Amino acid sequence: MRRTFALLVAGVLAGVPAAAALRVIGSTTVNPVVSEAAAILRAEAGLEIQVDTAGGSSGGIAALADGRAEMAMVSRPIKVADRQRFPGVDFRSTTIGADALALVVSADVWSAGVRCLSREQVRGLYERRIARWSEVGGPDRQVVFFNKEPGRGTWEVFADWLYGGVEATPMVSHPEVGSNEEARSKVASTRGAITQLSAAWADGVRTFALGLCETGLPVAHPTRAAVAAGDYPLSRPLTVVTDGPPVGVARRLIDFVLGGRGQALVTRHGYLPLSQANGEGGHP
Amino acid sequence: MRKWIDRGLPIACAICAVACCALLLGIVATILARGLPVLSGEFLSAADGELLGSGGIRYQLFGTVLLVATALAVGAPLALGWALVQAVWVRSQRGRRLLRRTLYAVNAVPSILFGIFGLIVFVKYLDWGKSWLAGGILLGLMIVPTIAVALVERIEALPAKYVRAAAGLGLSKGRIVTSVILPQCWSGGASGALIGLARAAGETAPILFTAAVFSGVTVPHGVVESPVLALPYHIFVLAQDSFDPEAGAHLWGSAFVLLALVLALSLLALPLRLRAAEEAQHG
Amino acid sequence: MRSSLARWASYGATGLTLVFGTALLVSFVAQSLPVWRHEGLAYVTGSVWHFRSEQFGVLPMIYGSVVVSIVALALAAPLAVGAAIWSAEYLNGRNRWWFKVPIELLAGIPSVVYGLLGVLLLRNWIYELFERFEPLSGDTLLTAGVLLAVMILPTVMTLADDALRGVASSQRRAARALGFTQAEGVLRVSLPQAAPGLVAALLLGLGRAMGETIAVFLVVGRQDSQADYGLRSWLEAGQTLTSKLGSSETFLAYGDPLHWSAIVGLGLVLLALVLSLTLAAGRWLPETGLARNRRA
Repeated sequence: MRRTFALLVAGVLAGVPAAAALRVIGSTTVNPVVSEAAAILRAEAGLEIQVDTAGGSSGGIAALADGRAEMAMVSRPIKVADRQRFPGVDFRSTTIGADALALVVSADVWSAGVRCLSREQVRGLYERRIARWSEVGGPDRQVVFFNKEPGRGTWEVFADWLYGGVEATPMVSHPEVGSNEEARSKVASTRGAITQLSAAWADGVRTFALGLCETGLPVAHPTRAAVAAGDYPLSRPLTVVTDGPPVGVARRLIDFVLGGRGQALVTRHGYLPLSQANGEGGHP
Repeated sequence: MRKWIDRGLPIACAICAVACCALLLGIVATILARGLPVLSGEFLSAADGELLGSGGIRYQLFGTVLLVATALAVGAPLALGWALVQAVWVRSQRGRRLLRRTLYAVNAVPSILFGIFGLIVFVKYLDWGKSWLAGGILLGLMIVPTIAVALVERIEALPAKYVRAAAGLGLSKGRIVTSVILPQCWSGGASGALIGLARAAGETAPILFTAAVFSGVTVPHGVVESPVLALPYHIFVLAQDSFDPEAGAHLWGSAFVLLALVLALSLLALPLRLRAAEEAQHG
Repeated sequence: MRSSLARWASYGATGLTLVFGTALLVSFVAQSLPVWRHEGLAYVTGSVWHFRSEQFGVLPMIYGSVVVSIVALALAAPLAVGAAIWSAEYLNGRNRWWFKVPIELLAGIPSVVYGLLGVLLLRNWIYELFERFEPLSGDTLLTAGVLLAVMILPTVMTLADDALRGVASSQRRAARALGFTQAEGVLRVSLPQAAPGLVAALLLGLGRAMGETIAVFLVVGRQDSQADYGLRSWLEAGQTLTSKLGSSETFLAYGDPLHWSAIVGLGLVLLALVLSLTLAAGRWLPETGLARNRRA
């Protein structure tokens, strides 16, 4: 009897559509900015905005295409492959800031004097050809590469830079990390650790962002100034993506983030605001 | 030699027993020591703040209570029906054994599989998106064996003379169920339900893909696309980020509240449950 | 009238539960069909999982699941059986009741809380303790196994206790009459008599360890393909069936039929492993007791 009643109630409720909530899914790099903007808009304008980070950038794009979200947070440019995979979706991406992606290492590697790596060295580390830090001027300790999960924007930007594309990236097996927080906390608590991480998340106490050095060129440090000047190659746009032009709550959220208070949030989290981001930030 | 064994065995076993208790004490003490300082009326009643992992856990708590209540509403009637079929209506031993085996099999299904099943049925097939109702139904199905087994144990332990006396009074079997069996056995069902609820409250895997999001949700308005926040999922997400001291405090506070909730439910069930076990043992 | 209503409702509820159970089984089989067609038996014997190149080999995850469960059982079994002997053979009714209270409570602690403790404490302990073997990090198969050991302790202990107390007290009295000391009675009479129940307890503990997700996910390191399958791999990051299922790859696979079926297939393999352990335990322990197995 009670069950019948419960089913009945469920049926009635199911008929009532949820209020026009905006669902945002995607990148943990973009998340702090959007989450806080959403919290402000919730408190001040009563807008309903749900933010979730399951699956990272590509998870967000998949959710947008499947109709599980109205907005994706994406910490990389939208690619041809995305449009091919979801031909029915009219991807409209709005850049809200830029960010330097860095190779971030643990304190013991940093204090042993490793300050920058060349692309070839990064390849060696990623492919496990370089197994000990002593081979690149670091401590005599094995390299622990915490690889960002596939589908994370960070990982795809890294793969694009290092190998010229996701498909060309060799198959490797490393321990995997998901969110930026997880990457940071694991590097902080592990000796000889390295990961691909937004430079803004390296705290300079237990985690340190390395520069990139090619012979004959000055070291490119992942600083905001270097990204603004286009001197750091591993920079990327931070975007929110909608299917078709943003309308309604999505529009208001975007307007807020692009406005003064929203851009202040971008800066507060260590990212580059649009005014300094050089259009889209000189991504590769 | 014999003497040594006779002395040594109880000592060794007692050490094992003490170690088990020490583990519980250690776990509870650790959570208590870090979680208690965070706890305040505001922590329980405030919504989460602008910064990730700041503010209170009002809607996480609400979401967990909603999920658990739904699980009870779904699981209890199903379990009651099952228990009556297995212990009362079906007379053949083979039928009963088959039902019992099936219940054990359902009980053994890992909780993550309920989550994937929910993703297939509710998210993919019914197109509900994440919904509190999906989570509640999954958790409810998950605790059916817990409640049903507790009930069946009670019904089977019921002295046969009660039923015979009732039958002697000319009561129909349906009447015997409602006026003899259920009143005598409700405590079994209640203890099973409490244990089941404790389990449902602490589960993360079934709601991971089907019901819970991390932030931005308050009270659901409908069913479709109506996720909730939930304490276990909140802890799960924050636990992957064990670095930020601010989030850390929030994390331990949440863990403390969840543990308190679950242990309170288990404690409520304890007298009923252990007494039933003793009675079953001594007949 | 009332009789038929109560009866109708009971059968209805049972039927509904069975429908859900069957639907679960059917959906795992049906939705994983594409990957079985794609990989064949290599799905369970292949050791490379790389979804971009559409290679789906589950062996590393099966290996991870088996290793963490065996470590968990090896650590938990002596402690649990010892405590069960203490409870069943040496404590009288009232004291036993008091001893069972913390065990029941221990069984109730949510797995995410264990996971949290694993992340914040156990991970670092393992890392420092095994430093001379240079573990990759604190996230290892061993870490997950140790954490699981604590988690399955109450299950194994309670079931072992039930098994020991199922030995008739007349048997114990007979042992004493034959001149056995109490310890000899335990070792030569109670334990052999309770052996089937103890085996069932261990099998169910193993099943529970294998199905546990959240705590394992947080400390296992989530590395898809093992470098090797030797003892050394215990101190390296690994992947279990459950940690893979709980990962964000499940979201990522959502739109791609083959990838999705590979993920669902993991669930089918897990289901097969856990159910066969449970059924095996059921053969040893046909009556009650299975009920006390807590779900992972």
